[in-house]
Amino acid sequence: MNGMLGLLHLATFFPPWVDEEPFLVTGLALGGVYALSGVGLIVLFRTTGVLNLSFGAVGAFGALIAWQLINHSGLNQWLAYLVCILFAGVVTLVYGMVFGRALADRDPLVKATASLGVTLILLGIMDLLWTSSGGASRAITLPTDNHGFMVGQVTVSTTDVIALAVGVVITVTTTIFLRVSRLGTAMRAMASDREITATLGVPVARVEACAWFGCGVLAGIAGILLADLVALDATTLTFLVISSIAATLIARLSSIAVTFLAAIVIGVVESMVVPIESLTNYADATPFVLAVIALLVLSRTRALSGERQGF
Amino acid sequence: MSTAQVSPEPPAPAKSPRSGSPFARDEMIRVGAIALGLLVIVILVPAIFSLYYVDALTQVVVYAIVALGLGVLVGRVGLVSLGQAAVLAIGAWVAARLLFGSGLPFELVLLISGLITMVIGTCVGLPALRLRGLYLALITLMLAGAITVALATLNFPNGGHGFSGYNGAFVHIPAIRRPGIATSDRAYFRYSIIVAALMFLVVLGHLRSKPGRAWAAIRQSESAALAAGINTTLYKLWAFALASFVTGVAGGVLAGAQQYLYSINFQTQDSITLLAVVLMGGAYSMWGAIVAGLLLELLPAILNNIGVSPDWLTILFGIGVLQVLTTAPRGIVEQFPRDMARLYRAITGAARRSSGRSATS
Amino acid sequence: MPIHLTVPRMRAGLAVLAALTLLVLAGCGSSKSSGGGASTSASTGASTGATTSASGSTGNTGSSSSTSLSSCGSKPGVKATGSPIKIGTIDTHQPGTDFTDGPNMINAYFACVNANGGVNGHPLKLYVELDQTQPSQIEGDAKQLIQSDHVVAIDGVFDLLECTLDAKYWAQLGIYEMDAGIAPGCWAGPNSAAVNMGPRYSSDGAVQYAIAKEHPNKIVFDQSNVPGTGYIAGGPTALANASHIPIKTETDNVPINNANSVALRLVQDAGPDGSVVLNFTPPEALVILQAAQKLGLEDRVKSWGCSTPCDTDFLAKALGPKWNNKFFVNAEAANPDDQSSPDMTEYKAILAKYGHNVAGGIGSFSEFGYVLAKFLVQALDKVKGPYTLKSVNQAIVGIKNYKTGLLCNPWTYGKAPLHIPNHTDYTVTPDNGKMKTVEGCTDISTSDPQIAQYLKAAKAAGINTGH
Repeated sequence: MNGMLGLLHLATFFPPWVDEEPFLVTGLALGGVYALSGVGLIVLFRTTGVLNLSFGAVGAFGALIAWQLINHSGLNQWLAYLVCILFAGVVTLVYGMVFGRALADRDPLVKATASLGVTLILLGIMDLLWTSSGGASRAITLPTDNHGFMVGQVTVSTTDVIALAVGVVITVTTTIFLRVSRLGTAMRAMASDREITATLGVPVARVEACAWFGCGVLAGIAGILLADLVALDATTLTFLVISSIAATLIARLSSIAVTFLAAIVIGVVESMVVPIESLTNYADATPFVLAVIALLVLSRTRALSGERQGF
Repeated sequence: MSTAQVSPEPPAPAKSPRSGSPFARDEMIRVGAIALGLLVIVILVPAIFSLYYVDALTQVVVYAIVALGLGVLVGRVGLVSLGQAAVLAIGAWVAARLLFGSGLPFELVLLISGLITMVIGTCVGLPALRLRGLYLALITLMLAGAITVALATLNFPNGGHGFSGYNGAFVHIPAIRRPGIATSDRAYFRYSIIVAALMFLVVLGHLRSKPGRAWAAIRQSESAALAAGINTTLYKLWAFALASFVTGVAGGVLAGAQQYLYSINFQTQDSITLLAVVLMGGAYSMWGAIVAGLLLELLPAILNNIGVSPDWLTILFGIGVLQVLTTAPRGIVEQFPRDMARLYRAITGAARRSSGRSATS
Repeated sequence: MPIHLTVPRMRAGLAVLAALTLLVLAGCGSSKSSGGGASTSASTGASTGATTSASGSTGNTGSSSSTSLSSCGSKPGVKATGSPIKIGTIDTHQPGTDFTDGPNMINAYFACVNANGGVNGHPLKLYVELDQTQPSQIEGDAKQLIQSDHVVAIDGVFDLLECTLDAKYWAQLGIYEMDAGIAPGCWAGPNSAAVNMGPRYSSDGAVQYAIAKEHPNKIVFDQSNVPGTGYIAGGPTALANASHIPIKTETDNVPINNANSVALRLVQDAGPDGSVVLNFTPPEALVILQAAQKLGLEDRVKSWGCSTPCDTDFLAKALGPKWNNKFFVNAEAANPDDQSSPDMTEYKAILAKYGHNVAGGIGSFSEFGYVLAKFLVQALDKVKGPYTLKSVNQAIVGIKNYKTGLLCNPWTYGKAPLHIPNHTDYTVTPDNGKMKTVEGCTDISTSDPQIAQYLKAAKAAGINTGH
C-alpha cells in the first residue's frame, strides 16, 4: 500500500511521456550492458559454483590489449578483438585451473572473494600499463556504431542491438545447453556436487576447463562491447560488475533468463529516473536499491545461504 | 577428490573464553604490558617521526579501528560484510555535521556519531537475519553502493547550512575542528591512539563475555547454537551493532584527522580493499586489525615517499587475498611468526649442521 | 599436510600469471619502440599524434632546435655542478586521475637547464610528492617538502585539492606557490598564482563564446560532482545572467556509466535553440559526447561547449567530422597544432629531448609544466645572493610581465589578495582529427564577479592585467 502511495507521490515528479520515451530506448541499451556481464557471471556460477567477480577486470584488460594492438601495432581490429577474447579466455582458464581447483571445496563466498583478489591484481597492472596521465583517455569504436535506425527521437546504433542480441543469444543457448547437452548436464551436476559427479564418471577437470574458458570468452566479448558502450576505462569496467551483480541477485544466482530480464528492468528504471530532476543524481543507485528490495522480498519466503559461513 | 586436501575447517576462535571474570590474572599482566607499549608509542612516535609519518600513522589508527569492527563480523561471527567502508563514510559524515553544526565537545561527538552509525549499520545488518554467506556479502555490497551514491550526491559537510551542511560555493572551506587538547597533528595522533585503545577494550570486553561465547557458537554452527538456546537473531544484530559503533567512532576520528572530507575519497570498491587487508592481516585476531591498518595506510605512505606507484599496492593486496585464502586463512598475524620460526629453525639447523661438519673435519 | 600440497600449485599459478603479464608487457614494449623516434611513451592516446609532431619538429628545425634548447640555461653545453636549488611540488596521482605529466615536464625543463649551466652554476632539483586526494596526506606532503627536503620554492602543483588545503601553511612560511591546479583556492588567495585558468574561468570562457557567437536562448551547464561545484557554476551563472539568458546548472556523479541518458537529458533540457556546456575530465566528457553522437543528438541543440580538459587532439580524433564548428572548447594555452612561437618550438624540442616520462606528450598538461618551469628559472636568475626560501619567494612574487608564446597575456604574480593572472583564452573546435583555433585571445568577461574583483585588486596592487 505504501508503495502505491509512493508511486502516486512520485507521479507528480515525472516529466511528460514525450520526454520519457527516448529514455526507455537508452534504458534498453543500458539493460543490455548490465545483461552482458550479469549473464556472464551467472553462466559460470551455474557451471562451476564460482561467482567470478574478475569478469569485468578480465574483459577490460582484454579490451585495453585490443586498443593497444589497433592503435600502436596497426593490427586489423577484428584480429585485435580475437586476441582480446582469447586473452580473456586463457586468463580465466588459468585462474580456474589453479585457484578454482584449489578452492573447490570451500564456501561460495571464499571462491567469490578469491576472484576479487585477481580483480585487484589485474586492475593494478592495467593502471600501470595504461596510465591516465596527461588526461589521456582511450576509446574503442566498433564499425557498427555508425549504423543505426531511428526510434522516436533517437538513433539506436547497431552496437546497442548487437549487445542486446548477444545477451539474448547467450541466455538462450546456455539455458538450452545446460538442459539438453551431455556436457551441460555434467556441468550442472558438478556445480551442485563435485564429488558425486566425479564418481559417476564425468571427466570433472575437462568439464570445468570448458566452463572456465567459456566464461573467459564471454568476458572478452563483453569487454569489447562494454568498452564501446560504456567507456574504455579500467576502473569503470572493472567495477561495473558491482552494478551487474544486482541482476544476478534478483535472479537468486540461479536463473540465466531471470538475470537477463532483471538486467533489462534495472537498465530501463535507471534511465527513466534520469530525467526526473530531483532524482537524477540518485539514478546510479538504481541497481543496488532494486537488488536490496528484491532480495529482502525473496528471502521472506526462503532463507538464502551458502552451506557454511565464513572463511 | 583431488582438492579435498585443502583445509576445510575454518580455524577455531582464537581462545576459548573463560567463565567468570572476563579478564583472568595472567591476562591482566598481558594487558598491562600492552598498555605500557601503548604509552611508549604515544610518547615516542610523535617525537621521533616526521609529521608526514605522524599523519600517516593517525590514518593507520583510524583504519585499525575499522578493521577491528570488520574482524568481529568476519572472524568471530562469520558474517562477511562488503559494506564497511560505506559505514565508515556515514560515521565521518555524521561527525563532520555535528562538529560544524554544534559546539558539543569532540568526545561527545565521537560517541554520538558512533551511536547514530550503530543504528544505521544495524539496519545494514538486518538482511543478515535471513541471508548468509555469499548472499549477505553481496547485499551489503549493494547497500554500500546505494549509500555511496547518496553521500556523493549529498556531499560531505563543509560548514554550510541546511541538513547537508554543504555549500558548494565556498572557496575558503573551514577545517573540521579538533578537540581543544589535540589541535596539532602530533597531539591528535596521541588522542586517536587513546580512542582506538578504548575501542579495542570495548571489543575485547565483548569477546571475553557472553556475546563472545554466543558468537563463537554461531560461527561453529548456527543450528547448534540455536539448539543450545542462544538467541542467534539478537547476537548477530549485536555483532553488527558493535562493528558499526566502532566504525562510526573511527569515522569521527577520521573527520578530525583529515579536517576536510570529500566524497571522492569514499568509493564502493573501498569495502573490497578493506576486506582484502582484513583477511591479509588476520580476521581472527585483534592484532590482525592493527596489521590491516598498517597495510592499508602506512605501506602506501612509505611507497609514496620512495616514489613507487600506488598501483603496486593494489597488485600486492590482490596477491595477498589469494595467498591468504589458499594457504594461510589466519592471515599475516599467524603466518609471519610461523614463517619466522621456520626460518629460525632452518638457520639454526644449517648452523648446527655446518658446525657439526667443521667439528668432524 | 593439506597446506603444503597447495603451495606448489599456487606457485605454478602465479608463475603462469607472471608469464602472461610479461607477455603483455613485452607486447607493449615492442609497440612502444615502434611508436616513434621521440620515444615518449606510446601507451596513451594523446601521444600518437603528439610523438609524431614532436619528432617532426626536431627533425625540421635541426640545428635551430639546438640553439633554442641552449636558451634554457646560462652556459650552453656546460653541466651545472654547484649545490642544487631544491624545488618542491605536490601532484595528484591516483587511478583514473593522474596529473604526473605536469611535474614530469618540469623535470624535463630542469634537465635542459642543468645541462646548460644551470641557474648560475646551480642545478635544479625537483622534489615531487604524489597524493591520492587524501587531505591529511596532502598536508603531510607540504610539511615533508619544507621540513625534511628543505625546498626553497613550491612550483608546478597540479592537484585537485592542494591549493585549498595548504594555503594557510604557505602563508605562514611566506611561500608563494605557482601552480596549474583545480581547487578553487588556487585563484582565491594571496599565496597562490596559477598559469592555467581552472574550471571556473575556463567554463566562463566556453559559456561566453556560446553566448557571443551562437546566441542560444538557454544554457545548460553540466559538470562532474566534485568539490566546489557551486563555486565553479557561479561564474557561468553570472555570465548568463548578465546577458539575460536562462541557465540551468547540473551535476553528474562520475564515473558515468549511463552516458546515453545523460546526453539525452542535456539535450532535452537545452532545447533546439539552447547550448550545452560541459566541465568534465577528458574521459568523462568523451563518453558523454560519444553517447550524443551515437544517439544522433549533435544537431538537436544549437551548440556544444566544453572547458579546457576537452582540448586534446585525441578527443577531436575520436569524435569525427559532425562536431566541426558545432563543438567549441575553451583553451587556456596556445594550440600546439597551429601556433609556432619560439617558446612553442622550444617546448616541443625540450619535450622531445628530455620529456621521456611525459606520457601524454604534447598537451595542455605539459604546456603548463613548461611555462611553470620557465617562469621559475627566469625568477631565479634575478635572485642576488644565496638561494634561500625568503630570497627565492621574493623573486617569485616579484614576477612581472613575463611573456611566453604559450599564453595570451604577460604573466604577473604580485602581492594581491587573489590572483587570476591568466584570464584570457582561446577557443578551438575539432577539425579533421585535430583542434583548430577559431577565436584568438579573448578576455573573460568581468560579469564574473571574481574576475571583476581580481582586476580591481590587481589595479590597486599595480599589476598589469592587459586591460
